[in-house]
Amino acid sequence: MADNSDETGDQGIAKPGRRHVLMMGGAAASTVVTVRPALAQTAGSIMSCEIPIPDPGRMGNYIAADGSVVPPGTPGAFPPPGRNLVGEEVRGALQGGAPIPGYGYEESQAYTNYIRRLQNGMSGFTCYASIQMSRG
Amino acid sequence: MNTIAYRADRPEARRVILLDGVALIFHRPSGLTHIVAPPAPQILEALEAGDAAPAMLLERLQRDYDFGDSDDLDAALKARLAELETSGLVWRA
Repeated sequence: MADNSDETGDQGIAKPGRRHVLMMGGAAASTVVTVRPALAQTAGSIMSCEIPIPDPGRMGNYIAADGSVVPPGTPGAFPPPGRNLVGEEVRGALQGGAPIPGYGYEESQAYTNYIRRLQNGMSGFTCYASIQMSRG
Repeated sequence: MNTIAYRADRPEARRVILLDGVALIFHRPSGLTHIVAPPAPQILEALEAGDAAPAMLLERLQRDYDFGDSDDLDAALKARLAELETSGLVWRA
């Protein structure tokens, strides 16, 4: 009541007003269970699935460093890769931070950021979701 | 000391619903839903301040929380990070 000075997180995780005890768990405890949507996928499909950048409806536009799609010629933005990126090369970039083969570090970061922004229903989303699900 | 820095998506990429003891996290980019228990949400929150290696992350968490089981915090935190990495909620920066 008197103490309202705690900063609140912007995603709804309550910051405790008083210090809470947080149990870190043992090395073997599991704290995450993932509910996977029923997307047909095999290891093979991840290797070869493709992600168009940008999606076909926005062909010809550039990709900004943050992954947004911007008009061609926008300063600081990158031309699209000119071909569909393949799941396996994207996986290396998403999970290991390696540049996408054939592209420079900054371009690759922009494309990776674009891929991270993909939403259900957009071209390449299923491929991205499969890559995410292929972890571990 | 492990020097690998970890990174998480920005908070807008996640929809978090708190239930009594756990949180549901819908990860918008992947369309996956994760049921997580503490300290997973707190780790994600601590990563909002920027990429961090486990040691720095532990410092951030210790600013807000006390730790009951202080046996081997470092190993436990790394195990939690590995779980989050497997889930796709964090990755190596």
